Amino acid sequence: MNNNLYNSAVRACFGSPDHAGDAAGDIVAFFEDQGMRIRLSANVSESTITELRFLAWGCPHVIAAAEMFCRQYQGRPVAELELFETDQIMQDLAVPVEKTGRILVLEDTVRSLRAAIQDRLLST
Amino acid sequence: MSEEANLIYLDYAATTPLGPQVADRMREVQANAWFNPSSNHIGGRISAAAISLAAEQLASLLNVTPTLFLWTSGATEANNLAIMGAARQRAHRGKHLVTMRTEHKAVIDVFRALEKQGFDVTWLEPDEDGHLPVERFEAALRDDTQLASIMHVNNETGAMQDIAAIGEACVKRDVLFHVDGAQAAGKIPVDLAALPVNLYSLTAHKFYGPKGVGALYVADGTPIDPLMFGGGQQRRLRPGTLAVDLIAGLGEAAAVAAVSIEDDLKNLIALKSQLLAGIEAIEGLAINGPRQGGYPGILNVGLDDVEGESLLLALEPLCVASGSACNSRSQEPSYVLRALGRSDLEAQSAIRFSLGRMTTRDEVETAITLYRRGVEKLRNLAPEAVA
Repeated sequence: MNNNLYNSAVRACFGSPDHAGDAAGDIVAFFEDQGMRIRLSANVSESTITELRFLAWGCPHVIAAAEMFCRQYQGRPVAELELFETDQIMQDLAVPVEKTGRILVLEDTVRSLRAAIQDRLLST
Repeated sequence: MSEEANLIYLDYAATTPLGPQVADRMREVQANAWFNPSSNHIGGRISAAAISLAAEQLASLLNVTPTLFLWTSGATEANNLAIMGAARQRAHRGKHLVTMRTEHKAVIDVFRALEKQGFDVTWLEPDEDGHLPVERFEAALRDDTQLASIMHVNNETGAMQDIAAIGEACVKRDVLFHVDGAQAAGKIPVDLAALPVNLYSLTAHKFYGPKGVGALYVADGTPIDPLMFGGGQQRRLRPGTLAVDLIAGLGEAAAVAAVSIEDDLKNLIALKSQLLAGIEAIEGLAINGPRQGGYPGILNVGLDDVEGESLLLALEPLCVASGSACNSRSQEPSYVLRALGRSDLEAQSAIRFSLGRMTTRDEVETAITLYRRGVEKLRNLAPEAVA
């Protein structure tokens, strides 16, 4: 019987979602699947992600994953988004294998965000 | 500070703490009456006397003869023994059985097992408050109906069934009537002498007794087959050496309930009213179960725009139950709430607050604050759905 479904990283990210909300500007990505919804928004300056924000509807692992992504990538070069994979976040949050599909919603949203940022950079 | 020090327990429908008087009695029996009550010596007689006292205490609570109880490991076993034992015993007369979709798993799964053995089960739906209209029950009875099982108080919603009227319908059609009283015995007045009930299951840990012990009331002349074999104890219907300390604890819990039940109910009515007043203004809040007249120790509420698992975590250190079927690993929405017509989302976001003898007004106030804060937090986190 395992009643402790959430590790300390999940509890920290879920308990203090410091990056919840909308970033200034209009670079936005949204993805919905498996009953989960994630919206990421970013502000970019000179190829650096200066601000990352999220909104999410889903289980604690999904919310924590979105917050963790924002914590990790805010302040990093846009190019590093190419390297993003959910494996590390899955591991850090000890996401149960049956929730893998939910975390992949974050991967899809990040991919969409990356495309939106590229569009913005190309147009400026 | 440890998690235990912080927790606020509002999950009394899951289990209750051991009452102090119960703990004292169990320690006393463990020290002085630990013998095998079937032994034919002084020690055996001491333990047998402890069992007899417990039977008298329980009988007094439920207004029946003390010799009509079978001690079990809990309500799950009592339900299995009652339903399986009665259905098999009367199978030669007919194989139709009646129950509700909102019963506890300890009843539902027994009926499912009987279906696999060739029995025909009618699964009755409740109305939107969780009640079973008596006329709906009567309409389900057939000439070959042998057994009906309807719970007294629903563990998720607090809906209370009209056991007297349903029992009367059973008497008229010569149908055996089993009641799962796990959430009723020791919590609301139950007069089995006045109720037309053949079999009544209960468990000690729902009313401040120990876990691991329950009882099945078997009315005089009610035929059931045993499920276990191996000894002559308990009229050969439930063999095995009796757990004297646990049974004594159950008896003591019954004795305490007998004198405190009215005060308990008054307190629960006030606390539930406080809780409801504190959260009912939340936009979109739906009550799952009866708005009035249900068991006052249970309040089940849901929302259609908040994710249930996240809400449960956001409510910590509040200990409440979610609307998921079995545990938080399973996100299957509660079949009980689905039977009441709730959507998957509404059922999955449901929170069952269950209050008890030790619940304080301060705890309820904190629960109100945590629930309001949790809902607000998750609503603020949620992106709008895109059509």
